[in-house]
This record gives sequence, C-alpha cells and structure tokens, in this order.
Amino acid sequence: MGNESVLEIKDVSKIYKTKGAFFGSKGKDVTALNRISFDIFKGEIFGLVGESGSGKTTAGRLIVSLEEANSGKIFLDGSEIIGLRGRKRKEFRRKVQMIFQDPYQSLNPQRSIYDTVSEPLKIHGMGNASTRKDLARETLQSVGLSPPDDFLFRYPHRLSGGQRQRVAIARAMILNPTFVIADEPTSMLDASISAQIFNILLDMRNRLGVTQMFITHSLAAARYLCDRVAVIYQGNLMEVGPAEEVISNPKHPYTQALLDAVPKFGHDRDARRYGSLLTKDRDVEEDAGCAFFPRCAVAHEDRCGRKQPGLAQLGDGHLVACFRLEAMHEA
Amino acid sequence: MALLEVENVSIGYNTKKGYLKAVEGVSFTLEEGASLGFVGESGCGKTTIGMALMGLLPPNGSVREGRILFEGKNTLTMSDEEIRKIRWRKMAMIFQAAMNALNPVQRVGSQIAEAILVHDLSIGKEEAMGQVEALFDLVGIPRDRLRDYPHQYSGGMKQRAVIAMALACHPKLIIADEPTTALDVIVQAQILGEIKDLQKEFNLSIIFISHDISIVADMCKVIGVMYAGQLVEFGPREKVFESPAHPYTKALLSSFPTVTGEKSDLIPIPGETPNLVIPPSGCRFCDRCSGPGSSCKIETPDWVEIGPGHKTLCCRC
Repeated sequence: MGNESVLEIKDVSKIYKTKGAFFGSKGKDVTALNRISFDIFKGEIFGLVGESGSGKTTAGRLIVSLEEANSGKIFLDGSEIIGLRGRKRKEFRRKVQMIFQDPYQSLNPQRSIYDTVSEPLKIHGMGNASTRKDLARETLQSVGLSPPDDFLFRYPHRLSGGQRQRVAIARAMILNPTFVIADEPTSMLDASISAQIFNILLDMRNRLGVTQMFITHSLAAARYLCDRVAVIYQGNLMEVGPAEEVISNPKHPYTQALLDAVPKFGHDRDARRYGSLLTKDRDVEEDAGCAFFPRCAVAHEDRCGRKQPGLAQLGDGHLVACFRLEAMHEA
Repeated sequence: MALLEVENVSIGYNTKKGYLKAVEGVSFTLEEGASLGFVGESGCGKTTIGMALMGLLPPNGSVREGRILFEGKNTLTMSDEEIRKIRWRKMAMIFQAAMNALNPVQRVGSQIAEAILVHDLSIGKEEAMGQVEALFDLVGIPRDRLRDYPHQYSGGMKQRAVIAMALACHPKLIIADEPTTALDVIVQAQILGEIKDLQKEFNLSIIFISHDISIVADMCKVIGVMYAGQLVEFGPREKVFESPAHPYTKALLSSFPTVTGEKSDLIPIPGETPNLVIPPSGCRFCDRCSGPGSSCKIETPDWVEIGPGHKTLCCRC
C-alpha cells in the first residue's frame, strides 16, 4: 500500500439552510460539515466513525457528488470533482461508487437482479446483452451469490437483507471502480450476515485493490475492517489515525467517551475507563468553542470554550483536535 | 415459587405460506429481581416469546402448547379480564422501536397519564399527572417537558418516556425488547445504566431481548441463546460467553467484532436461517453447523447439562 492519495478533501464545509416554521420567519443554519480535511490513500479502507448528526453520511454524499459542498475542494486522483460536467463526470461516476445503508430501499423493487446489476453497464454503453449477462453472473458470483443463475431473474422481495446488500455491492463493483464508499452497509443486518459483508469488503481490497471509505457508528466494525479511522463529531474531525492505534489508545475525549460507552462483557469488563464525559452538559452561551466542549469532563474552560481546535500531529500518522493535547505535546 | 415459569411453550403463526412454527418447546424460569437475556438473530423467536408472555400475540398467532405460569397461575388459561389485571400492572413491556410507538398527536405526559388511568380506576387525572412527574424524575426527563409532543423529544428522551410508561403501574416484571436499537452508543450506555439502576431500586425482574450479544451480557446474569425458534443454550452469562457449548453460540460470538482483546477473524455463519413453515428434521442448525455429527440431521437433539445451571440443546455436546 503506497502513500499515494486517491481522495483528498480540503477544508470542506456543508451547511443546510432550514426554513422557519412560519412563513417569512428565518430558520437556523445547520452546519453539517465544518471545514474538514483528510486524505484517503490508495488501497486502504478508511473508516469515518460518528454518531447520528455527526456529518459522516453527508461527507459520503459529497464525495460521490450526490450533493455539493458549500466551500472547500475535493480531489479524486488529483482532479477536482466539484463542478465536473459531461464526459469527465461520467468517468467520475465509473470510478466512484456507493453502497447504501438500507438494502430494502436501495434496490428498485420493480427491477430484476439482472436489470439492477447490469444497469451501470448499460448507462456507460459497455458490452452487449450477452457480455453483460456474463459480467453480471461473474459479479454476483464474486459477492457470494452462487450459483448466479439462481439469482439473476429474481426480484428483490425474494431476497433476504444480506442477499440484497450483496446485490448492492455487485452493482457497485460491476464497473470496476477504484473507490467505493460503503455507508453503514451492515447496520440493518444481523451480526452473522454483517460478518459476511465485511469479509466481502475486505476481499475487494485484498484481491482487487479497491480503495474504500467505510462510514459507520461502530468502532468495533471500524477496528475490524479499517486501516485508518477518523472520528467525526458534529461536523468536525476529532481524531484521525491508524485504526488499531486510535481504538486502543484514543487521545480525544470524545473517542474515549465512545469507547467507554461500548457494552463490555467477559474479560472486557475490566477494560480501561476514560471517564471523559460529563454527567450533565455544561450550559454554553456561544457556539464558538470546541464542538465537544459542553460534554467534555477534561476541558479547559478558557481555551476549549473559545475556539474549535484543529487537527494536530501526535506522530505516526495520529492526529487529534484537542487543545489539551496540543499543550502537552508542546511541553 | 419463581415469578415466571415457562414450560415447554410452542408458538406459531398462521400465514399465507402455511403455519409458521416460530417458537418450539421453550422452557425457562425467572426469579424475582433476576435478569434474563434472550439473544438471537432476526426470526429466532425472541420477540414472539415476549409478546406471548404479555398476551399480545397478533390475531394470527397462538400458543399451541405449554404453560406460562406468572406468580403460579397459567396466563394462557386466563380470561381477558384477568390478563388485563396483570398486563401493565404486574408485567410491562418496552417494545421494539418503542419511540415510534408514542402517539405523535398527544402530549407525552398525557399519554403516560392515560396508561396509569386505564389501569387504576381509583385515581383521577391530577393524581395521575403527579405520578407522571415522579416517573419523569425517575427516568431523567426534565419536568418542563411533560407537555411536549414526541417530535420535540430526542431519540434518547423518547426511549426514556417509553420506559417511564412501562414503569407507570409499578410492575414486577419488565420485558425490554431491543430498547436501545435505534440509539447512538453514548445514549445507549446511559439508558442501559438507567435501566440497571431502576432494576436495583425496585427489585424488578427483567427479560432483556436483543440481537446484540454484548448488551445482553452487560445487562443480564442469565442468558438464553435462541436459534430458529428454539432455545439452544441457557446458563449464567459467564459460562455462556466464556465457555459456549452450542455450535451456534460459538459461531454467533465469532461474528461480532470487538474493540478490545485480540483482533481475530470474523467468521460468518454460512447459509441462511431455516424455513420455519417446514423446519428441517433433526437439529435446526445442522445445515450451518461447522461440525455436524452423523445423527444430527435425523435425531432431534435433547438438552445436555454442561454444568450447574448451564445446558445446551445439541446431539454432539
């Protein structure tokens, strides 16, 4: 795995303007992403971990161009993706694919599996009826839907959730993309089925070298699947680094709070507790400080309440957005 | 006498495709103040058991066989009147996706008061509201949110409101069916902690139903593992998780990623859950088992005692 970047996100912000409840009244602006920056390297599985409202799904949607950022730049293989039109946009669509969370909603119920999986080929004018069928069979086989002929002409309602998600992966993979975003692909599936899907994603990386971004709320899943992870909270990146390192040695109080919250059993019961979460949120007047300030048990009233810290290097690719750590690092 | 004794209960649903044997021959007991967790994947029958205990099976569902003894009396032979006296007053349920079960056009406080008034005809509206205030204090919802509508509550608050509703009539037993599934991990941890505190404070018996093995292990001292409608392993949590006996329990444990401990390969369970309209002969897990024996497909497995209070339904064990 080289250090070549496939994806570069620089200072990207996304703001949703909401309308007020009554005619004429102004709504609040919701900052879904606040000037975030990160790179994803070739051949890696990069995890974006956050709870609901963190902005992780928005980040995914911006990268696949389902929505446009309000500011900042996104580069795929060195070319800017915001504002792509025509042929270049079509090329982008071939290279970047997405697997969505809900397998019950992401497949058109009126289309057969063959139609769904071969549609990308038709859109890009690739192959003919016979070669498309062969490619569809091959792709279904590679995601474990075997024998593929059993599945080609079924409709989604005859498939289980796990099977549907495999079809979604097949559809994403049939164009041989270089970059795939999986947005919570297993949160609606049972554990044993999720494990099957994880192994398919790992196989895609190992066998085909597909670079991936895995969006999840589960640190455990990120630990299993990802090479590096970024923890996102209310539109801000809090911590980025090698997955094993961030999860076993979390430096940001929010990451620590997430780890404390994971239910533990067996030998895990005596695992380390960080205690970085306040039992009752602080009353905060302004929005200016660190996003996590109202809930942070180790925050410094002066610094943390006034400015949002940026990501700072701790060494070995581990970055943290925390004034406490900046101070310790400088000392 | 145990608070709850379930004896050889079998439950099925009449569906268009035939009679679905959702639960087969399940037996267990629950003492007062004890916690029991049912863990299993979708379709294993754990929610069906919860609904049957409450007498809330849908019209096409029925308990075909067995007895459910609550405080010594069989709820399956009770009249509707008698069941209503138990339901909510002695036994309450926190339903799956309960937060979506709150009436969107009724103020939250008033919904909970309604639950109280329906089950206690001796008190009036004001007294009921007073009880709701006390409940809100108990579950940690600020009193000034009593008159809000559900959409004004966050996910965590809605779940707390639902827990308040379950506690409203001071039941002895609470059945919590996936009470934290839709919540973020930090809110989930808070809610689970609050449920544990409430359990201690009121000496509640809890049946906790979840697909998430780590939650069940965290919350309950005794675990029942369910697969395809059957209880396949039952015992103290330490034994079931640290020395699982049934191949399905072992497989289930290996399919959950963890944040601590050794990072091992996730071993998915091949295949799919069996058709419960025409369940397979012999052991229901045989087709997916990593090491089936020669008679597993023909003989129905029997309970095997592994240790004190720890048993498994397996031919090979």
